[in-house]
Amino acid sequence: MLQFIVLGLFAGSIYALASLGIVLTYKTTGVFNFAYGGIAMFCAYVFWQLRDGWGLDQWIAIPLLLLVIAPLLGLILELLFRLLSQQSAEVQIVVCLGVLAFFTTIVNLVFVRHPDDSVRNLSTVFSHGSFGLTSNVSVTWNEAGTFILAIVMGLGLYAMQRWTRLGTAMRAVVDNRDLAGLIAVNARTIGRAAWIISTVFAAVAGVLLSVQENLVTYVLPFLVIYSFAPAVFGRLTNLGLAFAGSLTLGLTINILQKYGSSGSLAKFETSLPYLALFVLLVVYGKRLTEVKSSLRATTSRAVADPWRGYVVGAVALILALVLGPQVFADSTVGALAQAMAYGVVAITVVVLTGWTGQISIAQMSFAGVGAFTTAHTVASLGALYFPLGVLFGILIAVPVSLLVGIPSLRLSGLFLALATMAFALVMDSIVFASASISGGLTGLDLTEAKLGPISFDTATSQYYLCAVALGVTGLFALWLRHGPVGRRLQMVRDSPNAAATLGASLTVTKLAVFAACAAIAAVGGALLAVTQQTVIPANFSFDTSLQLLLVVVIGGRTLISGAVIAAGFYVVRLLPVPATVNKYLPLGIALAVIAIAQEPDGIGRVMLNQFQKSAALLYRIGRRPRTPVAGRTSSPQAVRPSV
Amino acid sequence: MSEPLLTASGITVRFGGLVANDNIDLEVAPVGITGLIGPNGAGKTTLFNVLTGLNRPTSGSVAYDGQDISRWSPHRRARAGMSRTFQRLELFGGMTVRDNLLAAWEASIPGGVMGRRQSEGRQLVDEVIARLQLGAVAGRQTGELPTGIGRMVELGRALCTRPRLLLLDEPSSGLDAKETAHFKEILVEVTDPEQAVQSEDGRGAPAVLMVEHDVRLVMDVCRMITVLDFGKRIACGAPDEVRNDPAVIAAYLGEPAA
Repeated sequence: MLQFIVLGLFAGSIYALASLGIVLTYKTTGVFNFAYGGIAMFCAYVFWQLRDGWGLDQWIAIPLLLLVIAPLLGLILELLFRLLSQQSAEVQIVVCLGVLAFFTTIVNLVFVRHPDDSVRNLSTVFSHGSFGLTSNVSVTWNEAGTFILAIVMGLGLYAMQRWTRLGTAMRAVVDNRDLAGLIAVNARTIGRAAWIISTVFAAVAGVLLSVQENLVTYVLPFLVIYSFAPAVFGRLTNLGLAFAGSLTLGLTINILQKYGSSGSLAKFETSLPYLALFVLLVVYGKRLTEVKSSLRATTSRAVADPWRGYVVGAVALILALVLGPQVFADSTVGALAQAMAYGVVAITVVVLTGWTGQISIAQMSFAGVGAFTTAHTVASLGALYFPLGVLFGILIAVPVSLLVGIPSLRLSGLFLALATMAFALVMDSIVFASASISGGLTGLDLTEAKLGPISFDTATSQYYLCAVALGVTGLFALWLRHGPVGRRLQMVRDSPNAAATLGASLTVTKLAVFAACAAIAAVGGALLAVTQQTVIPANFSFDTSLQLLLVVVIGGRTLISGAVIAAGFYVVRLLPVPATVNKYLPLGIALAVIAIAQEPDGIGRVMLNQFQKSAALLYRIGRRPRTPVAGRTSSPQAVRPSV
Repeated sequence: MSEPLLTASGITVRFGGLVANDNIDLEVAPVGITGLIGPNGAGKTTLFNVLTGLNRPTSGSVAYDGQDISRWSPHRRARAGMSRTFQRLELFGGMTVRDNLLAAWEASIPGGVMGRRQSEGRQLVDEVIARLQLGAVAGRQTGELPTGIGRMVELGRALCTRPRLLLLDEPSSGLDAKETAHFKEILVEVTDPEQAVQSEDGRGAPAVLMVEHDVRLVMDVCRMITVLDFGKRIACGAPDEVRNDPAVIAAYLGEPAA
């Protein structure tokens, strides 16, 4: 037992460092750092490169990391989020997720050049070896060192907040940003300090975690997400509670391990932190304090004339139907069919994020619900029951979405983002990981699907199915947007208070949209299943939901065409494009999101604006009269005789 | 005088150590305009938020039309016929003026979001636009309108819910003298039972509770006035009584009460 307590305290103290860092930036700047895991992992790899890669002495590498690189990173992040401080919360969350994607891809590009590199060992920074605590319980110096370091850093942070001028100023900013400004506390300095400290904590947590778990690119960010639960336990503002929560979490996981870790219990252990995060959001509900940074909701742009949308959409659909299978090769037709199924799911992101201002990082999980339910139905009842399978998928997805949405939709966008994140990770680690549901890593087969007499067993038939589904969903969404439903969404988004006092229930509105989007995502998932023919859990993971959100943001989150552009990104991965494209595409996506998240209409609008700007510039240059600039009398035109 | 439409009793709101409302009683008559005045920081907007359900009082209760609505959500109160405007404009900036009004009407009726009875809604919206002289800006996006017109749009939006009780939070703030006079004229008109916007279900002119800074405006249009100062009710009565009340004079002019 004691051995498990030791392990638990060790793991808990790493979570503690991470959760302290997350709480610190949230309460001083109002930014919840979703990218924390990515930052921690990046710092761990940098440390590996410095010490193990280039062979620097550890006592040079550590100060270099903690005193130079991490603070620099913190400053860059502070600058990024300060530039966004006038934007709506949803932009901040999206950019943060973009930063997460950036760090995870950059690590893969820079440090993992070879498949063998994806798992590396990182030896401890403390001395090797161990000492005996009792006759049969031994503690490694690494574990002891980690625990002591966490306590020291935690206490240090506490003391800094309590007794230094910077700490007092920080507390003033937390209390009231505007008042603090009046008494000459510079919120910018405070924000910088918070980001620097937080990033240093991330670096320490990343290194310590990597020593324990090795440098594994696809594990580390998720382990840091473990610390989201304790951060929420501290209501995102209380450092002490976050610390205590982290230790409790570490202890609970490791003590559970004592009582056997096989079968479903093992899955429960891995998903415990996500479940805890979810349960905490439910239990705390409205008592969670929301730190308002100087966020104001960006006024949404007027909705463009619907007829153009209808016409463009209808023409595109007809062209796609008539030309598609004739023009493209069979493999391309199959890829396009998949992409269009993906586009159906992407439309739900447009409706949720662009039109309602809610961020869901679980749309692919809902799609997965649809996909697996359909696959099971067809497998047990036959291909003719494909529509019934889709219906079952909807019937499961909707109640599940209510379960996720009810607690978090009463709060601001951040908490829905957190709840959906927790939900997606729980789905990954419990539901989709269960072989009886998902068929394990190899997935389930869905080779036949029929809608009445029509069989969808060829790429062409699937293409028609998905094109019609995407077209109909898109036009239907567009039609809704220009009617009472669209007005309701926009009023809830533009001014929740006014909407409520005019008779619109905010919770019911948001919940209805969320449930409808889950249902449509489930349909999209069923279509993906039909086109992919093998339903694999990895295609519906948290990662894919995150990617989906990012590409929709690039395409334009307020536009149906944004969903179509998102589908375009999807098709690139399936086509035989040069390897470099696929290699750098994720990085490009991450960077593009960070750069253009402020523009709700996405990359199309950005490019149009740029084009107009340069066109206007060219026009002005062309029209500029050849008169001299004042003061430059040497110019020949200036020597005109004045009459 | 008939039963009051809205009765707030013993409303107390504390924010931490600050007592924003201290045991306030307030009654709003079912017809005519009732005023709520008081110097800055007197707790007027807080009381308004309590009445419309945006804030929960620390203690006290609100009764509307004979029912205790203290625990009702804002939208339920709105559905029951309470509608308000905001001191800091809360327009739906991405929508046109017409859509603002239409959205309000849809929000106020059951099934509005499903697009039921659209023609009835459009008719009401057209009438309100005409009455409030908003025809020239009906197609403009509200985000780009000046405050004066914005106030009028908020009034129109509230009227489109066919309210029985209209709560106006500082309708003249940010308006110049001319705009205020115009607003007053329109307000008197739409709350006059003879000239009110009629809807098919026969709801006539709404009763009004108006928080206002402009004391002259309040004195002109209100039948009853309640005065707050430092979170407490210091006077309540007809304009003439209130005007001569020593406590009110002291609160506004800072002289000790005689």
